[in-house]
Amino acid sequence: MTTGSGVALATQGLAKRYGSRVALDGLDLRVPEGVVYGFLGPNGAGKTTTMRILTGLVRADAGQVELLGRPFGRRDRRRLFDVGALIESPAFYPFLSGRENLRALAATGAPVSRARIDELLTLVNLRDRAGDRVSGYSLGMKQRLGIAAALLSDPRLLLLDEPANGLDPAGIVGMRDTLRALAAAGKTVFVSSHILSEVQQLVDVVGIIARGRLVREGPVSELLREAGAIRVRVAPDEVAAAAEVLLPVAGTGSVAPVSGPEAGWLTVRIDPTRGAEVNRVLADVGIYASRLESGTTLEGLFLELTGSRPDVAADAGSPGSSAPAASSTGWQS
Amino acid sequence: MRLFVADLRKLVRRPASWVTLVLLLALLALILVVLVAAARTSTEPQAALGARQFVTFPGAYELVLTLILGIGGLLAVTYGAAIGGSEWGWGTLKAAVARGESRSRYTLLNFASVAVFTWLGLLAAFVLGVVGAAVGGLILGVPPGGITDPEGLRRLPELLGRAGLALAMNAAFGYAVATVARSQLAGIAVGLGLFFAEGIAGLFLPDVFQWFPFSASSAVTSPLSGGGVGAGGGGAGAVVTQLDQNTAIVVVCVWLVVAIVVAAAFTERAEIGG
Repeated sequence: MTTGSGVALATQGLAKRYGSRVALDGLDLRVPEGVVYGFLGPNGAGKTTTMRILTGLVRADAGQVELLGRPFGRRDRRRLFDVGALIESPAFYPFLSGRENLRALAATGAPVSRARIDELLTLVNLRDRAGDRVSGYSLGMKQRLGIAAALLSDPRLLLLDEPANGLDPAGIVGMRDTLRALAAAGKTVFVSSHILSEVQQLVDVVGIIARGRLVREGPVSELLREAGAIRVRVAPDEVAAAAEVLLPVAGTGSVAPVSGPEAGWLTVRIDPTRGAEVNRVLADVGIYASRLESGTTLEGLFLELTGSRPDVAADAGSPGSSAPAASSTGWQS
Repeated sequence: MRLFVADLRKLVRRPASWVTLVLLLALLALILVVLVAAARTSTEPQAALGARQFVTFPGAYELVLTLILGIGGLLAVTYGAAIGGSEWGWGTLKAAVARGESRSRYTLLNFASVAVFTWLGLLAAFVLGVVGAAVGGLILGVPPGGITDPEGLRRLPELLGRAGLALAMNAAFGYAVATVARSQLAGIAVGLGLFFAEGIAGLFLPDVFQWFPFSASSAVTSPLSGGGVGAGGGGAGAVVTQLDQNTAIVVVCVWLVVAIVVAAAFTERAEIGG
């Protein structure tokens, strides 16, 4: 099951241009075996291009790919027998049933038994509709069939591009359980998604790309801890004094008073587990915090690292709620 | 082998296969009805004689095949383009390549299944054409004895083989155009455009266009080739075919190979997105 190197997938200096547009600009990834790896990035960051290169659909202009422990190039298509992929939208013949589509796909690449097809139809909860034409399937059903198609040859490495697209809540939970079970069985799952709350629950390791380059990679828990912060609410006239007191605790540049409608809040870049210490330091000088919030989310980290901004302002249409979306979503009382 | 069988299964279920076959049979039946009606009502002896040739065996065998090539050539281009283009449009080629399938093998076997269905369509149309011609002969009072003519029957396998190659070439042409265009609709539109453009251009430059695919395919069985008016491809009756049958079949084979190689080579080198 293992490759020996402990790395299921790695890229080095991967570059790709479409005309004058740079899709990938020296992408370096390292996906350990047996993990669920979240591949995140804003629209147009190069996620799908990366997936296409990894499955031999397009050629990289430069750089190397290592798949399942060995270099992967144009002539190594048989390596893909051990890889399952769902790239962009699921692809099926609309005039065939779900089962017939899986049979047609099973005729390509690595051999697949009929029992495996039935097993997968059951797994994705499509057994009852397996005989219906795919043209009559909902988006979520097509997505589930696409996931079944990716699992056809019991792959060691699974590449999934936005697998939660169109899935209902039960489908999302089912998918998450399935992917976690695959990782527990030693398989590697490489998944891109825009549903960051879902990714946070699902993945072990995350790689965030922006403008074709990797901006951060590592275990989710570690990244969130590194990006941790505490928000402190004090009386507006005590903000300056509080900032001065907290500087020695958090370090230079780690304390930022929030201005505007959020005046009275300070953001302290510090390990969220040190909340009690922050509270005590303030109390020692007679400043009493009215609120103390800690923690961050993958979404907050993502927006910060990629320089993305929410498309709709957080306070639009709501005069009273003015917390920036990038941080307000992740803060817990 | 499993991929080829899967391709055949797909085409059996595919509406385009049955729509194309029904169209071919309906158009052939319509033409035969018109020919018989013309032979009965025409006041011009030459026209009536020409129409009677289509129901007089054993010569009717070749004429029926020429008719099928005329209608079927056009439909084969459309059918080949529909099958070839849909692999790109629906993303099914992408899914197969991502599973490690060889691109050229996939394309060649996919086309091979199209060729098999084209031949099956030809056989079905030929049976209908022969039956229709025989019935037409009875209506016109033409003795049906020629239908069992030993010489005519001996030539049938060769004629069907030639017609099958010609139709397969037409389908391959449509398949290749749609593959390069990566689209069913574009493939059908461009394929049909070229079909008719060649027919019209052939009227003005027959010496040049006789070597072109649709003109050559209409000459592979035509008893009128060598200077007559063919009823075959390149514009259904518009082309003056000049190649003799044997030269035409060689030219058709060359075009068939060229079309398949272009489709396979393009697929092999293409960047697959979408």
